[in-house]
Amino acid sequence: MAPHIRPVSPLFVALVCLAFCSRLSRMKAASICTNSQTGCHFLSLANLFDRVIHHSARMHGISNDLHSEFELYFLPSKNRVSRNCHTSTILTPNGKENAQRIAREELTEVILKLLLAWRDPLWHFHQNMARHHKFNNLSSNKSLEMSEMVHELRKGVQKVAEKMQMLGIISNSLGTLGSREALLASDSPEWRLMNDYNLLYCFRRDSNKIQNYLKILKCRIVPEHGC
Amino acid sequence: MRLEMSSNRQQRLCVAMMRNVGGVIVLSLLLVFVQLAAGESFSPPGTPKNIICRSPEKETFTCWWEPGSDGGLPTTYALYYRKENSDTVYECPDYKTAGKNSCFFNKNDTSIWVTYNITVVATNALGRAFSDPVEIDVVYIVMPNPPEEVTVTVIEDTNWPFLRVSWEPPEKADTRSGWITLIYELRIKLENEDEWEVHPAGQQKVFNIFSLRPDSTYHVQVRCKPDHGFWSEWSGTTFVKVPDYFPRERSMWILIAVFAAFIILTFTFIWLSYMKIHNLKHYVLPPVPGPKIKGFDKKALKNGKFEDIFSSLVVSDFPPTTSNYEDFIVENLEVFVPEEQELIMEDSKDLQDDSIKSENSTCDNDSGRGSCDSHTLLIDKGGGDKEEALQSDQEGSQDERVPTSPEEVMEEDLLACCDEKNSPDISEKVKFTPSLISPLPRYNLMNQPNPPEIGKKHCLSDSLLNPDSLPSYFTQPPSTKNDFRSNPWECNFNHKQHPLHPQTTGKEHLQVQNEISWVHVDRTEASLGVQAPSVRSTEYVEVQRVSGGNMVLLHPVSAGQENSGTMSHQTEHYSRVKTVNNDSGLLLLQKESTGEEMGICLSEEEVESRATSNGYTASITPTSEKPMVGINSTLPILDDRMASGYVDTATMFGLPTY
Repeated sequence: MAPHIRPVSPLFVALVCLAFCSRLSRMKAASICTNSQTGCHFLSLANLFDRVIHHSARMHGISNDLHSEFELYFLPSKNRVSRNCHTSTILTPNGKENAQRIAREELTEVILKLLLAWRDPLWHFHQNMARHHKFNNLSSNKSLEMSEMVHELRKGVQKVAEKMQMLGIISNSLGTLGSREALLASDSPEWRLMNDYNLLYCFRRDSNKIQNYLKILKCRIVPEHGC
Repeated sequence: MRLEMSSNRQQRLCVAMMRNVGGVIVLSLLLVFVQLAAGESFSPPGTPKNIICRSPEKETFTCWWEPGSDGGLPTTYALYYRKENSDTVYECPDYKTAGKNSCFFNKNDTSIWVTYNITVVATNALGRAFSDPVEIDVVYIVMPNPPEEVTVTVIEDTNWPFLRVSWEPPEKADTRSGWITLIYELRIKLENEDEWEVHPAGQQKVFNIFSLRPDSTYHVQVRCKPDHGFWSEWSGTTFVKVPDYFPRERSMWILIAVFAAFIILTFTFIWLSYMKIHNLKHYVLPPVPGPKIKGFDKKALKNGKFEDIFSSLVVSDFPPTTSNYEDFIVENLEVFVPEEQELIMEDSKDLQDDSIKSENSTCDNDSGRGSCDSHTLLIDKGGGDKEEALQSDQEGSQDERVPTSPEEVMEEDLLACCDEKNSPDISEKVKFTPSLISPLPRYNLMNQPNPPEIGKKHCLSDSLLNPDSLPSYFTQPPSTKNDFRSNPWECNFNHKQHPLHPQTTGKEHLQVQNEISWVHVDRTEASLGVQAPSVRSTEYVEVQRVSGGNMVLLHPVSAGQENSGTMSHQTEHYSRVKTVNNDSGLLLLQKESTGEEMGICLSEEEVESRATSNGYTASITPTSEKPMVGINSTLPILDDRMASGYVDTATMFGLPTY
């Protein structure tokens, strides 16, 4: 028995692995596709958009909660310092027409820039909160979640961008520009000067921008799916 | 002259000037008085309050304020704003579009994600008033218009109609481009009610409402809200009339009927099983209660033999108060012939007398068998019961027709014989003999002139008492010779012994066997002694054994053997044969009772044994019923004989059977 099993078992395992891997690869592509390739891709893009939009909505909700809590408990002085968000250098459309007029690539780039610009400040913010016990457990968990979400959302949007580039919806000039400007923004020491309240205020606004831009982008690219 | 004219002119000028000044003063005073009389006071304007800014579509927005007091003077309001991180102050571009005390910002002036710092200034002739600054971000002040084109339709495809509410987003809100995401909510109420039923609808624009009340009118309203903003106003009420429909719940009624039937059937089955059929029958048709009298024979009632029935009512253990022996029916005859009796009989009659006398002291006249201590009786009897001892020859002789020695069966002896236990219990004997009456027949059934074998008295009783024990007769061991003396009344019932074969003991014993139906009558010495004076030989009944037919014949024994003086006593204890059934061999003995209850175990047993045995055509083969019946029928026939106490066997045979 033993000698017969030995050669069979690794072969059997290999077959099983192949079957699973093929299935997994198929699952990655799309969930409902049975028709032509293009239809499948578009469907999956809409699905991706829905996911990232949902993600950004959740991120904005958390930032809103934190801001309200901060405003409630810490009572910042009325004489607010000018709100200089470190992301103000990033040009963002501040209206619907502007947002619709801008190119898709730029819009996507703006989103990515924003997400990248907030990665480090949120992380430090969370560390600051946890170290100084300024927040309760629930709020500190939210801050951690917020920082993680920014990171994941950025990856998601990058995937969407790649998908769009693959589909030819947007050009391939995205990658380099986005990263450079984003690096510049993140390297600016302005965000270290922000106090906590300003940081939360700024991020709340920026997360709203991200969510809105994503929605606009989706309805421009795949309008037939829930726009 | 000229001087006079100039002075006149100067005087006139002064007067005029003074008049003007006075007029002015008067006028001003008048003015002041007038103002004072009116009661008003001018003051700078009050500060504008409650600045509210709203944007319907996140593209434009409008601010409204509440003006303070105007100070009695015409007051003007101005709205100034500054944008974020800029000190440039702008004034409201449009005060009119949105109405009074409002400022409208059009698209060009609206910047999203920009903080506006808005201040309203009121100005009048006396001063200015600045309102508190308000910071707004247009994104968070969105309050859309109510949804439009709210339509409600009644869908009646199924048995249960429902409402379908559909609407459209407000015109201005741009949801198509994804600029605004709206969520909706609707509410509904009946026409006459006051409370609304609110249903959140999410982002969908269609909603179904079920569970409607037929033939009623509903009011429906819808509103919307952006993901971060304010709820819109409720839309205009839409009225809908639900038609009057009758729910065809046929399936439901069928289900209910099935369930009810099932439950009813279940309960009926439970009740029936609980009641049971005969219970049910008794419940519906209760049976007529019959007489419940101990010893009452229903079958006899059916047969119509009333005498027998009533005779059974007489409790056998009831001590008879009268000495009318004829009234009592004796069914069983206990006859036992102890071995020693025969010997003793001849030897010592005096002993008997003594024993009798001694026994008499212990026993009462009224006492039955049970009242006497059989043990003592037996002991006493051992003294001398020869006269009463049954001939044991009967037992020894195999020929049934051998004339048996006279035997006297004492009622007490028999009773005592029947009682195995030390205390002879007449009642015990009586128990198994339904017709057993207290006075025992004094006739001794003598089977054969065999040496009497004293058996245990109780054997009769036991056998009679317990049908199962009938076959198990007690055999008198030979070693109980001593017992004989002590228990001379003991009967010996040995079913194993063939009636034809005499017992080895030589005792005359009356064997009562179920199977064999031989009756062995043992002579009991005690029979004589127990009765004391009753043990007499004047009236004896000889049991003649019949080999062939298991017949037991009773012969009246001549009184010569015994003391005639005791005849009176003896008569008390003798049993009289009432009827003899030739066919069935029924031999019934009528007992005489002298106030002493005696039971004839043997006869009873014999009777019963005959009854139970099959195929035995013994002379005494009474059925359970026959003794009773037979007695009655044949009573008159044997009266003469009974009175004398003698029973003629020949006569017995010649007795007609019933």
